Amino acid sequence: MTSEEERESLIAAVTTAHRERGVRGEIKSHRAFHDLDDAGRAEAFDETLRARKIEAATDARGLSTTARAVLARIRGG
Amino acid sequence: MIDLDVHLAAIRSGDADAFARWLAGAERPVRESLRSLAVHVDTESVLQEALLRAWQFASRVEPDGKPNGLLRYAVRIARNVAISELRKSRAKAVDPETLDASADPSPSAPPDPILRKAIDDCRSALPQKPAMALAARIESGGADADEVLAERLGMRPNTFLQNFTRARKMLAECLEGKGVAL
Repeated sequence: MTSEEERESLIAAVTTAHRERGVRGEIKSHRAFHDLDDAGRAEAFDETLRARKIEAATDARGLSTTARAVLARIRGG
Repeated sequence: MIDLDVHLAAIRSGDADAFARWLAGAERPVRESLRSLAVHVDTESVLQEALLRAWQFASRVEPDGKPNGLLRYAVRIARNVAISELRKSRAKAVDPETLDASADPSPSAPPDPILRKAIDDCRSALPQKPAMALAARIESGGADADEVLAERLGMRPNTFLQNFTRARKMLAECLEGKGVAL
């Protein structure tokens, strides 16, 4: 992969709503976030906003993947 | 203005469906409130932690005569979670004035059926593999890591991310062509 493709893949990785849990149950940051520079992190933020709007617009209840992940934690413990 | 506190009594009684309705309008403004910290902390993890705490501590929200009390409370929680993360990572100092910029957040509007139709049309025009990667992410709802989704689709993790990136770009171009700005 070129460095630009690697950067795009890191940004794409950060935009997922999946986050691991730590040993005390806390929600951990995505490891790809730490490999991005400031500009990449800002871009990932904007891309995530756009992705969540698309997800919410196409969900019958208007829920994004973030909202569904939070609800799954609430319902599943 | 939309007042998401119409769901507050049910949320306080433990109604997760009411919380889902609140989330549909509250997620975006809470996320937006973290914009100034996006280069310092992973806002997705901060946001999810804040939304979980909003659910857990909703009973602490006392009506103050202004709308969206729970939303304002969630923004404060998100700010505090982010500051805690900043301290852990020893990131450079952030101006507190910047953090307070979204003290009076507005809920997002309900989904627009015209937008939904445009997105559906653009998704149906995607090539097969990018469409599969995008669908896997959406259907998973954040439950699975990309490595798991990639394996299910018979792709390597990097290939999955490249297909997802292609889908995102093509979808954005298609929507732009329809005059839709996200």
